[in-house]
Amino acid sequence: MAETKQVIIRVKRQAGPKEPARWEDFSLKWRPSMNAIICLRDIAENPVTRDGKKTTPITYDSNCLEEICGSCAMLINGKARMACSALVDHLEQPIRLEPMSKFPLVRDLAVDRQFMFESLKRVKAWIPIDGTYDLGEGPRVSPEVQEKGYPLSNCITCGNCLEVCPQVNEHNQFVGAAIISQVRLFNMHPTGAMNKRERLEALMGPGGIQECANAQNCVHACPKGIPLTESIAEVNRDAWKQALLGWLLG
Amino acid sequence: MSSTATRPDTSYFLRKLHSFTGVLPVGAFLAEHFWSNSAALVNAAKYDEVSRDLQTIPFRPFVEWGVIFLPMLFHGVYGVYIWLRGKSNVSAYPWVGNWLYATQRHTGLIAFAYIGWHLYTERWLTHGKSTYATVESDMQNPWYLLFFVVGILASSFHLGVGIWNFLCKWGLVATAKAQQAAGRLGVVVGVVFSIVGILIVISFRLNWHPFASYYISK
Repeated sequence: MAETKQVIIRVKRQAGPKEPARWEDFSLKWRPSMNAIICLRDIAENPVTRDGKKTTPITYDSNCLEEICGSCAMLINGKARMACSALVDHLEQPIRLEPMSKFPLVRDLAVDRQFMFESLKRVKAWIPIDGTYDLGEGPRVSPEVQEKGYPLSNCITCGNCLEVCPQVNEHNQFVGAAIISQVRLFNMHPTGAMNKRERLEALMGPGGIQECANAQNCVHACPKGIPLTESIAEVNRDAWKQALLGWLLG
Repeated sequence: MSSTATRPDTSYFLRKLHSFTGVLPVGAFLAEHFWSNSAALVNAAKYDEVSRDLQTIPFRPFVEWGVIFLPMLFHGVYGVYIWLRGKSNVSAYPWVGNWLYATQRHTGLIAFAYIGWHLYTERWLTHGKSTYATVESDMQNPWYLLFFVVGILASSFHLGVGIWNFLCKWGLVATAKAQQAAGRLGVVVGVVFSIVGILIVISFRLNWHPFASYYISK
């Protein structure tokens, strides 16, 4: 009988943002339908490296395991993607796991994506429905708008679009494709449109939509297939109309 | 970005101006320049007539500085600034758009350096009175010839990609299908400009005038 199949994983370990980084190799027993998160769980059960040294379980974020929560994005063999949908059988070994590089590191594979949540707040990525009194029913949303909005609402704020964007880096506070796409979503909603001007103005501040240089990596990296480049183009059009023609046409 | 909504940032207007000047007037001037220089494909006399007409336009310094030199200088200098704020990652993510992003920066710099040299040799040294004969003699130098070819290809590529970028970034093409069509338009522009530019160089280098029969002397 053949030896049991092994899976070789290389993980970039770092105890904290200011600690030195190191690589650790692990050899795991292969199981059918194994994904990168299963590997990390197996390591947590038995944190021993490939050469038999005892180590600590790896810190990482994950929750839903079905590409819905957006928390397990990391670099797998050098590319940004969701760990839960990264099947071992489809990956070249040794499988390299690294934290995303565009967000501050917490520990090991866990990063802090607060920047994205702050950006969502800046652009008011919500629809205000509460008042000090009952505001009543809002306008109906046409099926056409519903159909356009639904794919945009699938965004899971995973940060892959920021990770692959050449314009998101330490010289640049670019908010990234996900946030621009959310502006499109909420501006397209009839009630949300009441804050359209504020959202566009926020997106024309430092790190705003002007930083997009059309490399279009975002749309390839999005695990949810959101038409991000279409969103950027549409929001760009609304933005320059407001900024450059606003004083002229009102 | 600040936590409250703000007026558009200066960087917003500068970016938009950078994008706009690339097409108008810089791109449009490149089209005009190739068109005028195509006169070489007729013959030397036609070329000198066209040159003379351009060299004797009214308000010449204002037109040259306002429509050609300053917009190009801004587009080039601000383009370098944009380059420095980006961080290319083609090796990790070799998608076509990402390649174009990286190449757009390199061709831009080559074109900018080339145009600086081209202005110096064909505009400054000739006191703005270059003729078929001066260009032809420059073109006999193999290094000049090489730089001309490289400069033409870089400028044509940069304009083709630039038109695609412009149409996407101003939201004039939004859907994936429209952006693909805009990409094809960019390819056509890049290829046509490259071919016409190289034909002009060949014309000077080899005294080749395929449209000589069109000529009617004044």
